Amino acid sequence: MSEHEITAPDEAAPGDPRQQEPALPHTSRPRRRAALGALAAPLLAPLLALGAAPLLPRPAAAHALVLSSTPAPGARLGAAPAKVVLRFNSRIDHGRSRMTLFGPDNQPQPLALAPETDPALVEAPLPATLGAGSFRLRWQVLAVDGHITRGDIFFTLAGR
Amino acid sequence: MESLLDLYGFASVVLQALLLLARTVLLGSVVFWTLLVVPLGAAMPGAAHQLSGTARRLVLGAGLATLGLTFLAAALAVLALAATLNTGLGAVLGADFVRAALGAMAATVLLLLLARADGALEPLRRFGLLAAAATLLAAAVAGSHAMARTEGRGMLMAATFVHQVGAALWIGGLPALWLGFRLPERAARAVGQRYSPFAMAGVGLILLGALGFWLGYIGGVPAVYGTAYGAMAGTKMILLGLLLALGGANYLLLHRLESVPSGLLRVKRFVESEMALGVAVLAIAGSLTSVPPAADLLEDRVTWHEVVERFTPGTPRLTSPSHEDLAIPAMQAQLDAEWQAAQQRAAERPQAFTPGEGLLPPRNAQDIAWSEYNHNWSGIVVLLVGLAALLDASRKVPFTRHWPLLFLGLFLFLFIRSDPEVWPLGEIGLFASLRDPEVVQHKLAALLVLGFALAEWAVRLGKLTGRYRYVFPLSMLAGGALLLAHTHAIANFKELLLVELSHLPLAICALVGGCARVIELRGPDVLARRAAWVWPACLVIIGSFLLIYREA
Repeated sequence: MSEHEITAPDEAAPGDPRQQEPALPHTSRPRRRAALGALAAPLLAPLLALGAAPLLPRPAAAHALVLSSTPAPGARLGAAPAKVVLRFNSRIDHGRSRMTLFGPDNQPQPLALAPETDPALVEAPLPATLGAGSFRLRWQVLAVDGHITRGDIFFTLAGR
Repeated sequence: MESLLDLYGFASVVLQALLLLARTVLLGSVVFWTLLVVPLGAAMPGAAHQLSGTARRLVLGAGLATLGLTFLAAALAVLALAATLNTGLGAVLGADFVRAALGAMAATVLLLLLARADGALEPLRRFGLLAAAATLLAAAVAGSHAMARTEGRGMLMAATFVHQVGAALWIGGLPALWLGFRLPERAARAVGQRYSPFAMAGVGLILLGALGFWLGYIGGVPAVYGTAYGAMAGTKMILLGLLLALGGANYLLLHRLESVPSGLLRVKRFVESEMALGVAVLAIAGSLTSVPPAADLLEDRVTWHEVVERFTPGTPRLTSPSHEDLAIPAMQAQLDAEWQAAQQRAAERPQAFTPGEGLLPPRNAQDIAWSEYNHNWSGIVVLLVGLAALLDASRKVPFTRHWPLLFLGLFLFLFIRSDPEVWPLGEIGLFASLRDPEVVQHKLAALLVLGFALAEWAVRLGKLTGRYRYVFPLSMLAGGALLLAHTHAIANFKELLLVELSHLPLAICALVGGCARVIELRGPDVLARRAAWVWPACLVIIGSFLLIYREA
């Protein structure tokens, strides 16, 4: 698996920097069964109320999206940027948002968010001591309308 | 706590839908009580007194529901946030959405206190009720999508406010109006006539709000079919069109065609259908709160070509998929290529998820083939049911009144086919398989089909009467609403959206069919005769869609 390959949000492949993240439960299941649930919906429209509804496939959703980021997703950089900058499509509650950096050693390193300059911008200085390797920046934000969203941005430092 | 996070995405959508419903009825009932019933008192004091009690009880009931649901929705978000931040509740309680929820709860409590006392509604209490209702709505807007927008926030907040005022004036007042039809005919007609201006103003405000949403959240026609937000908003507009048709018919019956036989009864039936469709519209609105606006998703949209391709009828898959099927490896190769391409695209764009959310695994040709096989066979059964019910409506083929027995075929299909690894097809014994909750779900669904078929058959034979007759239409209505209320992919997972697009027409047909069957059961005869053709036609359409259903 390449370092910038996106996997399920709460999953990590063995040997991957994501592996140490405590996995949250997820709803993946053999697709045939989920599909049966999907079929149950229309075909058993009359029955949904009586019990078939839980069979529906329901990927969850939220709506704070990253419009742009530094570093860019999948970027291969010669040196670490001075700070990470994420621009969202929503106003963000900075006091209740977090960024964590996972390095090649898989250890989580919380990043202190910079003071708010723009309601849709979340920034955090990066440590000056980052070495070469694959990194994962995990962000979690609270939009001011109360929606919680998280995501990962992977990037690689080639070393100086 | 992990269970809470796993539940968070879906539970928040369900709570939002229920909260919207409760709040809309609350606000509509307040308006009905203060601005319709009170003035009615000058002309019809007896009717107004009776209706005042009805409206007050509605305000109390909907108020309590609003209060409880606001608390639950906020509590769920607070717990999820505290869990994901790994912090105490105190650090979370100052968030904007919590303050908005507290404001809404305070306004609701004030409404409840003002509605608590029975008796005449003096001017000060009327003003207090309306002011508290406006405060509640303002607090709701403060916790809406619009509040978090970076551009056009003022316009979108105003659009949200007027849209919800419109929904309250029209949809929210329907339960009170419906209960008002219990009055003697002259008074009931007067109530209906006085309700019309509120409904019309409601329509205008809903459309005005929708215009703001179009400008701020959607932005163009390709977004309507290309994104989950757009598709749901489009479905909402279709349902709004149906609601307008019903409302227009009511207006004519109340104001222009007063001498039509059983006119008021027709209005009552249409109002019942309006309420059912209104619930579905609010279910969609609740669902919409969970997806990013279409305007923010400019990439990876479903194209018109893909929609046409997916809806172009093909040969139904009526044979069991097997590893020997040469089409399967070919499809798998294509899916693998698509997955790789999607992964590549995803790596170049930031992804975003709700905590606890899982991704569907890569698509598997065998699974798709099974799904299509299941849908297509089910389509045959539903199509046959619809055709038999149409023949039954003609009253010319007596044995077709046994059409519910066709559902037995569906029962057998589900019972046997849902889990091929389990008896009778697989090696796992039936009792051993029941340790798997999914198998239990599937078997229960199959048994429900069986019970449903037998019950409806008994209704057809006249052996079951009374409320049992409504099991079939109410289930159709609930099924349609639930299909509309489920959550959606945050980003444009094309395949999920294409599946969703193929389910939306089914939901609309289920809603229309359910309403028609209720009208057929409740009369008057002139409507029942027409409605008897409508719901079988809806089943024929559902069956046809299922028959041509494809996932690749």
